[in-house]
Amino acid sequence: MSINSQKINVNSNKLTQVILTSIHCSSLFTSSVFAADISFEIEGVNAQPSKIYAQLFNSQDSYSKGEAFSATYLQAKQGINKVIFTNIPVGQYAIRFFQDENNNGTLDTNLFGMPSEGYGFSNNAKPNYGPVGYQDAAFTVTEQQDPVINQTHIIY
Amino acid sequence: MQRRQFLKSMAIVGASSVLPASATLLTAPLAPAMVNVKQLFNDALAVHPELIGFANVERNFEPQTLSLEGRIPADLHGVFYRNGPAKHESGAIRYQHAFEGDGMLQRFEIKNQNIVHRGQFINTPKFSQEQQAQQFVYSGPETKIAHALPVVTPDTVNTANTNIIAVGDDLWALWEAGSPTKIDRDSMQFQQQVHLGAESKYANTLQGLPFSAHPKVDPSGDIWNFGLHPSGNIVLYHLASNGNVKNAGVINTQYRGAMLHDFLITDKHLLIILPSLFTDKSIEGHFEQIKYNTDIPMRVLVISKQSLTVIKHYELPAGFVFHYGNAWEEINGTIHFDASLYPDVNVLHKLSNVMQGKIEQASTKAKTALITLHTEGHYSMQIMPGTSEFPCVCDHVVGLKKPLFIPSVSQNQ
Repeated sequence: MSINSQKINVNSNKLTQVILTSIHCSSLFTSSVFAADISFEIEGVNAQPSKIYAQLFNSQDSYSKGEAFSATYLQAKQGINKVIFTNIPVGQYAIRFFQDENNNGTLDTNLFGMPSEGYGFSNNAKPNYGPVGYQDAAFTVTEQQDPVINQTHIIY
Repeated sequence: MQRRQFLKSMAIVGASSVLPASATLLTAPLAPAMVNVKQLFNDALAVHPELIGFANVERNFEPQTLSLEGRIPADLHGVFYRNGPAKHESGAIRYQHAFEGDGMLQRFEIKNQNIVHRGQFINTPKFSQEQQAQQFVYSGPETKIAHALPVVTPDTVNTANTNIIAVGDDLWALWEAGSPTKIDRDSMQFQQQVHLGAESKYANTLQGLPFSAHPKVDPSGDIWNFGLHPSGNIVLYHLASNGNVKNAGVINTQYRGAMLHDFLITDKHLLIILPSLFTDKSIEGHFEQIKYNTDIPMRVLVISKQSLTVIKHYELPAGFVFHYGNAWEEINGTIHFDASLYPDVNVLHKLSNVMQGKIEQASTKAKTALITLHTEGHYSMQIMPGTSEFPCVCDHVVGLKKPLFIPSVSQNQ
């Protein structure tokens, strides 16, 4: 049966770099370009002590390459967890995330590359006999919305 | 008819029933004839009661004492289990392939020269959810369900419908593409989808991987099995008799056939045999897209039981096999095995035809093939007369030279 799942691979060192870069970039944007905040709500998270790592992508290409426009993490708590991306320019975005349930800084997968820890995507997009594509998870940030709210349910 | 055409024709026929005749005529030439699989099957069943094995089962069979012909030996007692797809229909939908139905466990208790039968649907997460919804909510590998929920992992649609084996004190109901399903031996109730290797060094690395439906139990009680990924990666398992993982590994075979049903073991090796299949991705339906090509040899991978790596490779003439019998190995490394060998993969597609009530004899044309793999890299093959399918040997001779060869042969051609 042909079933693949999207693999999220966030190396903790790279993530730190991405965060620093995005903070640096966004400080440049704030004064000249309209920017909104994205509030991303993840439902159904279990209680174990762990972090949720989330990546924000701004194009099909960067999504395919795993090159995040911005990334962040938060301490997971039971129930609804909220991830905020601030000062995001108008445009199209997609979010993917995983819960680092064993605190090893990476999304664990089984031997065929399918996630064995909680994960998910914006728009509550889910793999369906195949991986989640960028367009399934994509949403837009416009000048009319502030903040942009997107909701999803974690997949275990 | 392919799935997309089927759904299109469903929509058009649905609309045409409320249109005037002239409009119906306009749309009719554009649409292929509608196939109502459920109606076709039920019409055929009325004429051919032998199709009963493919009929839909609505509910569990309560314990009942079976009527017997002949006598059962007084000292014969025990419980015999069988598993297979039984729920093929929900509402107006009938699955299009026989492999899609939800598993039902059949229990035959032999005691006091009587047999008490009981049949219990395996309450998998899929079955449970669909029973609650009173309709199919997931598309099957072959059957597209309108507004279906996403299939996030193979275990989302794991029907536990193919085989049943005893593991420790439990039963495992097996499927091709996902985890084993643990069932309480006495109550026949679903326990959980088994997380292989949990609480061991394997942690989550084996979670949700395919565990195929025809594992081999060797004379020591150890369980050997494989699971196929569409990429051609195959996971190999060596389990203790209680289900604990002793060893596991992955081999990359480049196989693109998307289906691998059975395998063999000798006392030293696993034999993974890749039939002459490829997938045509332009066709819809998991089984429909599996095609046969005589230019693709059947590849035999000889795998060390110790290292779970391929140590030798043979090529046989093109062929397709659902089930093998037994394999054994001479001291010098010559390997012998037998297979129910089909000339092509039509048997797989005929399991769609039979779901529409079409009875075709052509699905029983496998021949017993006796194959020898010589150490120098060549093979020899002997084809037995008659037809055969699903030869079995007792666990205590699996992988060993058989003292007596009795092929499961039928003379019906």
